Amino acid sequence: MSSLSQNPKKTLSFSSTMKNPNYNPLKKRLASRFLKAMGRLKCKMSPFPATIEEKRRRHRAVRGAAYASMASAVGPRRAWSRALLRKMKGRKRARRNPRNVDERFGLNLNQLCDVVPGGEGMDSRSLLNETAHYIKCLVAQVQIMREILHSSSSSSTTL
Amino acid sequence: MSSRQSARASRLTEDEINHLIFKLHASLQHHSNSTCNKKRSAAKILKRTCNYIKKLQREVDDLSDQLSQRFASGDINAADADIITRLLQL
Repeated sequence: MSSLSQNPKKTLSFSSTMKNPNYNPLKKRLASRFLKAMGRLKCKMSPFPATIEEKRRRHRAVRGAAYASMASAVGPRRAWSRALLRKMKGRKRARRNPRNVDERFGLNLNQLCDVVPGGEGMDSRSLLNETAHYIKCLVAQVQIMREILHSSSSSSTTL
Repeated sequence: MSSRQSARASRLTEDEINHLIFKLHASLQHHSNSTCNKKRSAAKILKRTCNYIKKLQREVDDLSDQLSQRFASGDINAADADIITRLLQL
């Protein structure tokens, strides 16, 4: 296993990414939480997954860490993050509000509330607001994960 | 608050809907390279939004898979994550 003392380039590449102005406060919070979660996962995992089931479990764990760190970085400020946090803690769903579906685009709002966490309980206005913020966080999370992959691969090839 | 009152309060005006849809449209445009077409209908924008979110969720899934495989090959370990995290607290 590689360690940082032998590969200083690895840390430097990702941390210099973090310093560039594209990394706004939200993204920094997302990144630090996700990295912490990954570090905790690493301690639990066996180094070489022997079975397909272990690989799947590992994949699910990383994906869960991604959504968990998104939800906890945003905290209870947003309905979608509250819904994710509730799901993680295994609590029951929030009381369902009667859907205030606007007939003009009723169908598409239903589809939207399927993809946005907690969407079923929201009225149209909240749903549209929450969607915009959810997209923003998803995009940031995807960028972070890509950059982690990129920085670890680029340094390993320069060995 | 009676349910009727809250229903009236949250009834969207056409202006509000257009504004919110426009905001969604803006966040979609930012990440696609298509030319801006202001005349897109609200329904189309909603559909594109749904598809965009699904696409992002698929990407998270795919990147999680790749990251978990990297773990297996030992490229990232706990020490690295700790050090990177400490460096982030600037």
